[in-house]
Amino acid sequence: MSLLDNTQLALESAMSGSMLQQSVLANNLANADTPNFEPSNVNFQQTLADAVASGKSPTSVTYAPYVQPQVTAANGNGVDPDTTNAEIAENGLLYQDMVQIAAQRESILETAMNTTTSG
Amino acid sequence: MSFFDALNISATGLTAERTEMDVTSENLANAQSTNDGTPYKPQAVELQSVGSGSSFQTELASAMGTGDDGTPGGVQVSSIVNENVPDQLVYDPGNPQANKQGYVKEPNIQPVTEMTNLIQESNSYQADVTAMATSKQMYSDTLDLLK
Repeated sequence: MSLLDNTQLALESAMSGSMLQQSVLANNLANADTPNFEPSNVNFQQTLADAVASGKSPTSVTYAPYVQPQVTAANGNGVDPDTTNAEIAENGLLYQDMVQIAAQRESILETAMNTTTSG
Repeated sequence: MSFFDALNISATGLTAERTEMDVTSENLANAQSTNDGTPYKPQAVELQSVGSGSSFQTELASAMGTGDDGTPGGVQVSSIVNENVPDQLVYDPGNPQANKQGYVKEPNIQPVTEMTNLIQESNSYQADVTAMATSKQMYSDTLDLLK
């Protein structure tokens, strides 16, 4: 058994997936006025869940954006700025949660290793 | 993929929207520019999405064989073009530039359209700023892990 358990590795993997999703959503928003632009998204939760279910290590998971073919504007653009903004806010909060959980779990490890000098 | 991708992508959006606002202001400012018979043509910004293969980091990643993970590159202004609209003829016989029938060629600029564009550009700009703030918070959270 390694020092970091599967949950911790999965958390870190999910954080990098969340960061990629943030880039992709920011790109959608930046291209909200670009003609014929098709928005993309990243479903890192599903990718990670599939990998864990099939017994793969979370560290070996790679995330990739997928294109959402849809048109919401007359110029062929498919970005819905309001939905995208909501997704960005949600993703930001999710990331914050994951960071806090990861930090908490690491502080438990730290206590077990007694790295902090007391007294 | 580099660490500050999301911030850089939002920044490209801010640049593009600011350019659009510049052009809209230019159109409004020149609503009366007759230019001695060849009136000002309203201008429009053409936007284009940037693929992942444009930045230094992605070039380096592909050269090193570490691959391109599909991180997008934002938006850029591909060109500023003259809109293909006819000049409007305004009846003003006292104007020195009027033709024999008393009409003056003026730019075909609709203030209502330009103001609507300005509102839309301003909204897009704000959306990009909000996305940027969220990304900044995420990076800040990551750095707090080291505390």
